[in-house]
Amino acid sequence: MPSPPKPSQTSPSLPVVEAVELTKIYHRGREEVRALNAATFRIERGEFVAVVGPSGAGKSTLLNLLGCMDAPTSGTLRITGQEVQGLSDQQRTRLRREQIGFVFQHFGLMPTLTVAENIALPTLFARRRLAQRVDELLEQVALSHRRNHRPHELSGGEMQRVAIARALVNNPQMLLADEPTGNLDTATGDTIISLFQQLHQAGLTVVVVTHNTPLASATQRQLTLRDGRVD
Amino acid sequence: MNWISLSLKDWQRRPLRTGITLTGVAIAIAALWSLLSFQRGYQDGMQSELDRLGAHILVVPKGCPYDAASIALHGATWPCYLKQSYLKQVATTQGVATAAPAFMTAFYDATGAQNVYVGVDKSILALKRGWHIQGRFPQGRDELLVGSAVAERMKWHLGQQVNLPNVPGQGGQVSGILAPTQGADDSFIYMGLNDAQHLFKHPNELTHILVRLKDPDDLENTVAQLHGCSAGLEMNVVPLAHLFRTIQSLVNSTRLLLGCIALIALLVAGAGVSNAILMTVVERTREIGIMRALGASHSDIFRIFWLQTLQVCLVGGGIGVVVAFAASRTLEAWLRGRLPFAPTDTLIHWEWWIADVCLACSIILGSAAGLLPAWRAARLSPCEAMRASRGQM
Repeated sequence: MPSPPKPSQTSPSLPVVEAVELTKIYHRGREEVRALNAATFRIERGEFVAVVGPSGAGKSTLLNLLGCMDAPTSGTLRITGQEVQGLSDQQRTRLRREQIGFVFQHFGLMPTLTVAENIALPTLFARRRLAQRVDELLEQVALSHRRNHRPHELSGGEMQRVAIARALVNNPQMLLADEPTGNLDTATGDTIISLFQQLHQAGLTVVVVTHNTPLASATQRQLTLRDGRVD
Repeated sequence: MNWISLSLKDWQRRPLRTGITLTGVAIAIAALWSLLSFQRGYQDGMQSELDRLGAHILVVPKGCPYDAASIALHGATWPCYLKQSYLKQVATTQGVATAAPAFMTAFYDATGAQNVYVGVDKSILALKRGWHIQGRFPQGRDELLVGSAVAERMKWHLGQQVNLPNVPGQGGQVSGILAPTQGADDSFIYMGLNDAQHLFKHPNELTHILVRLKDPDDLENTVAQLHGCSAGLEMNVVPLAHLFRTIQSLVNSTRLLLGCIALIALLVAGAGVSNAILMTVVERTREIGIMRALGASHSDIFRIFWLQTLQVCLVGGGIGVVVAFAASRTLEAWLRGRLPFAPTDTLIHWEWWIADVCLACSIILGSAAGLLPAWRAARLSPCEAMRASRGQM
């Protein structure tokens, strides 16, 4: 089982995510698209939350904001106690690098890198050398025997396990997963759900955006988005 | 894993494109290397050749002075001759230290090899200070001083009685063999001046006079006096420094053209590299988004693509230098067959600084060519990049 993240530099009592009247507006030509409309919610430390909702409800926008990939148009968003809306791109990058781990539907592994190098990639961006951590994670996701393999030599489940290990390598406070079982068969998807549950039990905050009912049911709580609002 | 290996690994993605891009850079750098080496070799070769001649001024029959100089330097049959009586006037001109008369003629044998005969007297030794003679300079009739290459080719040794190649019924004794000079003298057969004039039926005639000055800085004054002597109208006075400068300026004009071609080749190669990396950026847009999501900053993304361009140019430049070095003999043979005036020494003369300049040019080329693609990659917003499908930007 992957090891839990180290304690946050912020107070443990603070929520990992606190959003107040969070709004994101895009402009498509003259049209104004309100992708997220005054969403207010909290995600506590160690929670396992599913973000669900129909297509176009604003799930991806919310994921981008929670992952500090984008800045909100208005409202307040605090990630591990730090307000995001006033941060520069550089500061958001640092926050993302240090506090957030990403898992993608299509795995997002670099095809020219080996499994071990893919896992180690975020440590390069963080200017850390964590060879031992890579070995630990490889063992924890049961892929030590695949460390020198390229992604195209792996199955879908193995690729997603590599992606999860990569997301954990910098000891993030929160794991964000975008449809993590969307490209997997049911059995493999169950393995990944089980892995997320283990991470949650180990104390990690896990937020998954999903249409997958078994995955959503496996979480503690569901945030339902509809027309950019949280129900 | 580090930044360099991360960029290097991307080469595997499109081996054909990488190969073509590398080839473009290699060709441009090979052209630059060859040009610089040729410039160095030609300049050094010309200077050495003139130094070996030991003269400051060449006095030749009327006609094209450059043809005459080329014949005097490399050996051939002269189309016209000087009267020997001019020698006294040249020798007594103010500022002249030594005036060495020479009679030269040449024949080709059945194999195409050239046999050059030069009649000289002892005054030549005042000019050819670098000569080392095994044996002695010709003193009596029919004595020969042969160049090292001739001795080796003909298998002649000291004291041997030999038949003169291409001169039926005539012979001589090898009284001396020249130590290798690395110049045209190695393939000349020297004999007494009177012997040569008699043998080739040009009594009291010379082909050229080699003049050494007391003070080389007094060249212009001495040349003016030689032009003004009574034989001045019947002969050409060729200051070798002027000749060197003229030939060099002709070569420089060509070099300028070749330099422009090398520059254009470098620019085209740079554009090719830039375009190839831009295509890579487009293809990897989604990966850029993923790397941004994993914590890569703008400068990290810039660094990955800029390093990749630099690596392509540096490796391409290295290949270009090696290939140009390997092909230098072929290129030299090709040039030698086409240049009207080529020194005997190596034409393509490389030095480490030339390789350094070429690699520095590769680095500058890579740095410049990588700026645009690296900047385009770095300015992508992570959300836009993540949304991009493969092949779209």
